[in-house]
Amino acid sequence: MASVPNKRFGQDERRRDADHISFLKHKKFRWLWIALLLSIVTGVGYAMIDQEPRPNGGSWYGYTLGTIGLLLIVWLSLLGVRKRRIPEGQWSLKGWTSAHVYLGLSLIVVGTLHTGFQIGWNVHTLAYALMILVILSGIWGVYAYASLPKPLSMGRKQMTRAGMLEDVTTVDGQIDRAAQPLGRAEADLVLSALRQDIFYGGALARLTGFYPGCQTNRALAGIAPTSSEAAQSVHDLLTKRAEQLGQIRRQLRTRALLEVWLFIHIPATIALLAALLAHVISVFYYW
Amino acid sequence: MAFLIRTIAVARSGREIPRDRTLEVNGLTVGRSPDCDIHLADLTVELQHLSLSDAGGGMLRATALGELPFSLNGSITGDATIDPNARATIAVGPAQLEISREGDGPVQIIQSVIKKSGATVEPTAGFALASAMPSKRTMAWISSMAILVLLLTVPIVTHLTRDRSVEGQGPDASMIDQVSFDSTWSSGALSLAHHDLEDNCEACHATPFVTVQDETCLTCHEELGDHAKKPRLKAGMAPLPAGEAWQWAVAETLGNEGPGSCTSCHLEHEGNVRQQAATEEFCAECHQDLDMRLTDVSFGNADDFGMKHPQFRPTFYTEYNQEDPVRISLDKAIEEKSGLLFPHDIHMDADGGVARMAISLDQYGEPLECSNCHELTEDKVSYKPIEMEPSCEACHSLVAGRDGAGGFTSLRHGDVSDLMEDLATMGKGPKRAVVTGRTRPGQFARGGAYAVNFGRPAASLIAINRALLPGGTCGDCHINTTTDGRPDLIPVNLPDRFLQHGFFTHAGHEDEECTDCHEADTSKASTDLLMPALESCQDCHKGATAVATKEIVPSSCAMCHGYHTPTAPWPGDHPILQSTPEGMRGRSTDSIASISAMLDK
Repeated sequence: MASVPNKRFGQDERRRDADHISFLKHKKFRWLWIALLLSIVTGVGYAMIDQEPRPNGGSWYGYTLGTIGLLLIVWLSLLGVRKRRIPEGQWSLKGWTSAHVYLGLSLIVVGTLHTGFQIGWNVHTLAYALMILVILSGIWGVYAYASLPKPLSMGRKQMTRAGMLEDVTTVDGQIDRAAQPLGRAEADLVLSALRQDIFYGGALARLTGFYPGCQTNRALAGIAPTSSEAAQSVHDLLTKRAEQLGQIRRQLRTRALLEVWLFIHIPATIALLAALLAHVISVFYYW
Repeated sequence: MAFLIRTIAVARSGREIPRDRTLEVNGLTVGRSPDCDIHLADLTVELQHLSLSDAGGGMLRATALGELPFSLNGSITGDATIDPNARATIAVGPAQLEISREGDGPVQIIQSVIKKSGATVEPTAGFALASAMPSKRTMAWISSMAILVLLLTVPIVTHLTRDRSVEGQGPDASMIDQVSFDSTWSSGALSLAHHDLEDNCEACHATPFVTVQDETCLTCHEELGDHAKKPRLKAGMAPLPAGEAWQWAVAETLGNEGPGSCTSCHLEHEGNVRQQAATEEFCAECHQDLDMRLTDVSFGNADDFGMKHPQFRPTFYTEYNQEDPVRISLDKAIEEKSGLLFPHDIHMDADGGVARMAISLDQYGEPLECSNCHELTEDKVSYKPIEMEPSCEACHSLVAGRDGAGGFTSLRHGDVSDLMEDLATMGKGPKRAVVTGRTRPGQFARGGAYAVNFGRPAASLIAINRALLPGGTCGDCHINTTTDGRPDLIPVNLPDRFLQHGFFTHAGHEDEECTDCHEADTSKASTDLLMPALESCQDCHKGATAVATKEIVPSSCAMCHGYHTPTAPWPGDHPILQSTPEGMRGRSTDSIASISAMLDK
C-alpha cells in the first residue's frame, strides 16, 4: 500500500511537467512525425503509380486517399465534441489537439493528391477549397495564439477593458459640458461623435484598424480650435477621446486577429462536412 | 406677464426636488445659452432655441429662434399660439416644458429634468470580435444548408422526378437537361466527341448509384464490334495489379460491369480533348502472354512490334479452282496458285528483251516500271486489279487479222467462248482474190455484207487449239485445261487483300521502292507470293517506345490494328490517327468504307 502515494506523486509530477509543454511539442513531436510519415508515404505512392490518362480521384489510389482524407476530416472535426466532453481514460486534450494540428496539416498533402490536381467549378473542388480554407485558418489560429496574447496584454498599458471604457465615458461628459457654448454646426459634430458607439466599425474595420466613418475624427477636423475658447477646449478633449479610442481600437485589432480564425475555422468546417457529404454522394450517385 | 417656472431635479435617491422661481417679463427665451430664461444644458438644444411671448388676450406665442423647430403637444412646429389655460407641452431636445395657468394666475412652466445621454458605460463584451461578426453557428447553418440543398438535394430530387419517357432513344444532345445543378457534380469536361452532352448528365448517368452501362453507350455506338466476347475477353486478361483488382472487386459487388466494360477503358470527364486510344502497353498487357490463358488461340503473342510479333499470315489461293483462300504463315514453304503465269524478273530486267520492247513502244519509251501495270487506288491504300488490255496488250497483242475498213481485228480477252468466236471468223479479213480483175458487183463483193469466203476453215480450227496451249496466244499467261470436254483455261484467282487482320496503306510508304519490300525483280514465277514478311517491316517499324529517327518509326499496335474491329483499321476519325506519322493520316473514312466492303465480300 505504501507504493500508492509514490505512484500518485510521480503521476502528478508528470502532469505538472506536461502542463508547461506546448501542444505543438507534445510527446516530443509525436504527431508531427506521424503526420510527416503519412504525407511522405502518400506522396511516394502517388509518384509511383502511373495512372492513365491522368491521376484521378476515382482510381483505386484516389479512392484510398479520399477515404483517408474523409476519415481524417471527420475525426479532426470531432475536436469540438471532445473539448466539451471529458472522456474516461488517458486521453489528454493536449495530445488530441497536437494530433489535430499535425494531422490537419497532413491533409494538405492527402487532400491535394486525392484531387489529382484537377480543379474546377464543382462540388468536389468546393469541398477541397473549404478544406484548404479550414487548414489555413487553423494555421493562422496556431500562429495567433502563439504570438498575439503578448501584444494584447502590452497594449492595455496596465488598464482593464472596463477602465478604458470608463475613461471614454468620463471624457464624453467633459466634452458635453465644454461644448455647451458651441454653435449649432459644431454642436452637431460633437453630438455625433458622442453618440457614436465606442465599438463602431465592422469586423473588417477591426481587423484593419481603418475606421473611415469615425465621428470623433470628423469632429476634430470640423471644429477649428482657434475660433473660441470653448472650441479650443472641446478640440483638446476630442483629441484626448481620439487617443483613447485609438488604444481601444488597437486592442480590438489584436483581439480580432486573435479570434478571427475561429469564425472561419468553425463555420467552414461545418460547410466542409456538408460539401464532403455532397461530394461523396454525388460521386457515387453519378458513378 | 408673470411666469412661474418650476424646475424638478432628481436626487440620487430618486427623490424629486422642485425649485420655483417667478419672472415678471413680456417674454421668455429657452435655450442652451446660460443667458436664456430657461436654460437647457444639452447639445441638441439651440443656444437660443425658442421664445415664449405674450400674444395678447392671455395667449402665449411660441416661436423658434434658430434653425431647429420644437414639438408642441407631440407635433413639430416652428411657430404656434398657445392657450396656457388649456395646458400644453413643449418638448425641446430631451427637455419637457409643461405650460398651464389657473384662471388669471401666472403662467406655470414645469421643466422636467434633462436626461443625460451617454451616461452609461458600454459593456466590455464589445471587445470580443463576436460582437462584430455573425455568430459561428449562424454562418455554419447557412453555408452547410445552402450546400446540402443546392448541391445535393436539388440535383437528386430533379433527377429522380424527371420525365424518363424522352430517354428511349439513348443519349442525345438535343435532349432537354432536366436535372438542375448537376453540372456542379461534373468532375471535368467531357471529351470532344461527347461535348454536346455536357449539360445533359442524365443522358448517360441514367440510374442512381449505377455506373454508366455498356447498353447506354451502345445506343449510339451500336456498330462497334466486340474485341472478343466478354467471357473470353475476361479469360484472356492479365491478372490486375492488387490495387486495381481490389477496386474492381468492390465495384463489381456494387453493380459495376467490371473490366471489359466500355467505361473501364474509355474514361470520361478527363477534359475537353480527344479520347485517348489504347497504348501498346494496354494491348501487351493481355497479348504478351495470351497463350498462357487462352490456349486455343490461333495467333501468337505480341508485345513490342520490333521485338515480338507473330509472322504475317496472308490469305491467298494455294490450289487452282479453290473456292476459299487459305491463311498461311509466311514462315511456311508456300506457293501461290493464282492461275496466272507471270515471271516478274523478265519484265523487270532493265537490260532484257521486255525492256527493249518497251523502249521501242511510244506508250512506254523506257524499261517497264511497276506502276505501268500496278495502279494505286484513289485512296492510295491498295492497288487496283490489273486489267489485261491496258497493262499487257501493248506487247502481248491480240490482233488477229484485218478488217474490211483497213484496220485490224483483235481477239476479245476474258472469255474462252468469245475467243472461239473471234478465231472462227478470222478468215473474214481481206484475202488475195482467187482470180484477179473479176469481182461480183454490189454488196456481194468481197469486203461487203454478203461476201462469202470459199476458202478452207482448217486454219481457224487449228488456231483455237494452238492458242490455249503453252506458247499459244493465251498460253503465254494462262494455263490450259479442259472443261466438260471443251478446251478451257484455269480461272485467275487472286485475293483482293492479302493481309486481312491488320491495316496497311501504301500511301504511307511512297518514299520506298516497291522492291524494297516486294522481291519481284528476282521472282521467276508467279507462284512466288511476293508479300513482304514481318522482318522487312521491322527494318523501320519498331515498338512504340523506340526512338524516332529518319529510318525508325515508333509503331504502336494501333498503327495497324483496331481494338473493336481487330481485322479492320481504325476509323478515319479515330484519336490514334492524330498522333501517328504523317503517312498514316491519309486514311479517309472512304478508304475505310471500301476496305470494310471488301471484307464483307
